Amino acid sequence: MRKPTLLQQFLTQILLALIGLFVLIPIWSTLRLAFDGALLSRPTEFRAFPKEFSLQPLLQVLDRPYQSVEFTVLLKNSLLVSFSTALMAMLLGASLAYAFARFRFPGRQPGLFILLLTAVLPAVAFATPLYIVLSALGIRTTLLALILVYATFAMPFCIWNMRAAFQSIPLEVEEAAHLDGASDLTTFTHITLPLALPSIAVAALIAFLMAYSEFAIGWLFVERADTVTLAMAIYAIVQSGYAQPWSQLGSLALIMSAPVVVIFLIFQRTLFDKLLFGAGGD
Amino acid sequence: MNKTLPFFRLLAILLVAALAWNLRSYAALHLPVDYDEDDYLRAAQEYAAVFRSGDFGGLTEYNYRPEHPPLAKMLYGLNLLTVPEFALLPDRSTNAEPDKFLPYPQKRAARAVGVVLGTLTAALLALLNPAGGFFLAIHALTIKYTSQIMLEGLPALTSLAAVFTYTRFKHDDRPGWLIASGALLGLTAASKYLYALIGIAILLDWLIATPKDRASLARFLRLALPWGILALVVFFAADPYLWPAPLERLKSSILYHAGYATSSVDVQQADLPVYQPLVWIFLFSVGQWHPDVFSYVMDPLIALIACFGLPRLWKREPVYVLWLAIGLAFLLAWPTKWPQYVVTLTAPLSLAAGEAVWAFGASLLADWKTARAEKLNRPPERSSLRLALPWLIPGALFFAILTLYPLLYQFAMSLTDFNLRSILDGMRGGVWRAVSAGLLSGQAASPADDRLVHYIGAASYMPILDYITTSGLLGFNLLWTGLSVGLQAALGIGASLLLWNQRVAMRRGWQAFFVLPWAIPETIGAIMWFNVLSSGTGWLALAAQKYGPGIPFSFLLGWESNPGATLLILLIISLWYGFPIMMLAASAGLKLIPAEVSDAAAMDGASNWQSFRYIYWPLLFPLLIPAIIIRGIFAFNQFYLFQISHMFGNYSLTTLATLSYNLFNPSSGGFGRSAGQFAISAGLNILTMIILMVFVALFNRWSKAGAGVTYA
Repeated sequence: MRKPTLLQQFLTQILLALIGLFVLIPIWSTLRLAFDGALLSRPTEFRAFPKEFSLQPLLQVLDRPYQSVEFTVLLKNSLLVSFSTALMAMLLGASLAYAFARFRFPGRQPGLFILLLTAVLPAVAFATPLYIVLSALGIRTTLLALILVYATFAMPFCIWNMRAAFQSIPLEVEEAAHLDGASDLTTFTHITLPLALPSIAVAALIAFLMAYSEFAIGWLFVERADTVTLAMAIYAIVQSGYAQPWSQLGSLALIMSAPVVVIFLIFQRTLFDKLLFGAGGD
Repeated sequence: MNKTLPFFRLLAILLVAALAWNLRSYAALHLPVDYDEDDYLRAAQEYAAVFRSGDFGGLTEYNYRPEHPPLAKMLYGLNLLTVPEFALLPDRSTNAEPDKFLPYPQKRAARAVGVVLGTLTAALLALLNPAGGFFLAIHALTIKYTSQIMLEGLPALTSLAAVFTYTRFKHDDRPGWLIASGALLGLTAASKYLYALIGIAILLDWLIATPKDRASLARFLRLALPWGILALVVFFAADPYLWPAPLERLKSSILYHAGYATSSVDVQQADLPVYQPLVWIFLFSVGQWHPDVFSYVMDPLIALIACFGLPRLWKREPVYVLWLAIGLAFLLAWPTKWPQYVVTLTAPLSLAAGEAVWAFGASLLADWKTARAEKLNRPPERSSLRLALPWLIPGALFFAILTLYPLLYQFAMSLTDFNLRSILDGMRGGVWRAVSAGLLSGQAASPADDRLVHYIGAASYMPILDYITTSGLLGFNLLWTGLSVGLQAALGIGASLLLWNQRVAMRRGWQAFFVLPWAIPETIGAIMWFNVLSSGTGWLALAAQKYGPGIPFSFLLGWESNPGATLLILLIISLWYGFPIMMLAASAGLKLIPAEVSDAAAMDGASNWQSFRYIYWPLLFPLLIPAIIIRGIFAFNQFYLFQISHMFGNYSLTTLATLSYNLFNPSSGGFGRSAGQFAISAGLNILTMIILMVFVALFNRWSKAGAGVTYA
């Protein structure tokens, strides 16, 4: 490829800077908000920088971000729900994914179509029936219900991705194990699963992140403040409007997205591929 | 056209005709008297009197409401001979309230003519494409105006027949078809001038299809000229009113319309916007006027589907697309914008919708065939149900409990009237009880107690479909999908091209920075953006307030009250979320293009733009299609962005998923509607699922992974 001329380099940098500015705007606005100690409610005037730089909002959020609920409780709920969701979607979906990846059976192709269809349905399409079903079971407002609901959202997607992971393991490897006298289950647990684990872990991560950042469906189900997750708390702060300084809203948004951003930057390539259902380039 | 299945073709035409006949005769019997009906009936009475007297010279004397040519009125008059005579209706001004009490036998006889003509039109269209015929048969606006004593029925039939015979001529070159086409065009003009626009469409199509050499053009002129003259001759022959003073009467008749359009009180009082014809086509439900006659109106849905059928129709018979384009352009330009004018276009519109259905069916069939071919060519894998069962049973069990059962339950809910009032009964199994009782008895229960769930049946979908199409919600959702993904792809590809050259400074840094929005969860990104944009509290909105409207983002002031500005705001946010993944997809694609290609292009002296347009783009685009479809699905389902935007002042735009959530949510205000509408929300979700099936089928076709879906 030709080396760009100085003018080309200059123009390219200008255009890139424009895109960069676009990317930066909401991030900067949130940073500015998060560290503004002078804010008592919603912002009412324009400032490029915080009026009074302060870590107070951040610390407040790390203590009690929403009503009287402690941050640790919210974080605990978030992590519990997210981990359980990922784990459930994986464990319950794994055998189906393996069946679709390795065997041929009647009804397999319609099954794959249904699987993909359920993987692209909007979450609300599951929320409607689950609300009634879980209400009828009397567990609608518990964290367990939240886990079940999120696992339902995540499972089709996870099955789809695990299937791809299993499929990418060469059949010969399994056949070699069989020749050495291993049973189907042993082959799966000792050969296929470990080999497919990295891809599966990424699918699990996506399920985790889904549960971590979901709020609207959660608020349909949960009623008490102590069963709320971090994402739901953000939503509640927005809904409560003027009740507390919006610098806390900014802080909470930062605190919530920081770990996710780090994870995304590390696993960029694989996440990209999985989020496009394995359809992206390689 | 499939000639191997003449029987099924005939059957389809008969079914369409029967359906059209039923709907039209019901409408003719139940529709109230509309403007102009009394006038045209009076004109028909005059002609009936002439026919009765046997003094046919009278035909040249009469043409009540002479601004419209007489053929359709004469046809009505002919059928009035079957009923006894009645005193001539009074002469009234055109904008007078319609005479509600037309003599029944006369009204019935005249309307029967329209019913027959409307049925024939639908049947003729079914001959071209059964699905198209079906759409025309159920098109409510067409039903209304062809079943009333209006002038639409006859020209709608003859214009379609004129185009149809012309296309037959185009295919087999028999002069008989051409003569028929010219004659039919003449009859069309003698029924209502507006429909004669098809003459222009035919000529244009003909010209396009003619090779541009001297001999072919000469032949075109040799044929088109007599065709036009024939149309004129037939027009004059079928318009006896013109005979005594042809030019003078024709001139005053046509000039009337120009005057009416520019200065009449009716048109000015109506004060309809330029784009009103689009509203009639894409958003209007004639059920608003006649709820007891048209319970469910699918017109906007038909128009939406038609948009997807245009490319295939253009390939098959471009003349129909030209018909639509010319007709629509005329309606947009013409100041008079009465709804009945749309009937000039409903035949090609329904045909386009039918083509869309056909195209979709054909692509499914093609997929199925390739799938079968692949299956036969593939070496057998470990294909045994017995081996698969131990893995299948637990997995399928969990999948069924967690995923399929809720969906099945949702489907059952959608067939009932389940809502917040009946929630207790619903939780105690009322949904299943109602559905099983309804399926056994096969009919909807009368809702006696609103605390119980009742079965409604598939009919419960009709009002939902009616609502989402006539309110423009479905159209907006599709528009949103197209616009947001288009913008994301444009910026994503642009950014990837900027970063493509390895020698660009800070390349890795920029790329890592641009990926950031993708890593931020949609909910948080939306909140961040509204903290920038929302009036009164947003960062940049406050800046716009402070520094006045001179700065470039002055549209941030008061966007809440303007749907266009709201759309712009939402698009900016979705562009921010979505462009990074498009950038990654495009970068991955560009990497696959070997450097030799670019070197070769440079050596051949291609400019940057040329090498992009003719070399990289054709190589890159197929690689982007899966990403575009997946992003399209996400955009179609977009929920969190809209849900949060509703808290920050967006009251005008929403998506199906968001509407479903807010209709369902038992504790919210439900987006200004009554909340806890479980059954309606479920119905919306099922409709969404059906639409997504189309997306998934598309994805299947295009993606490499899709190869795994259907045949791996």
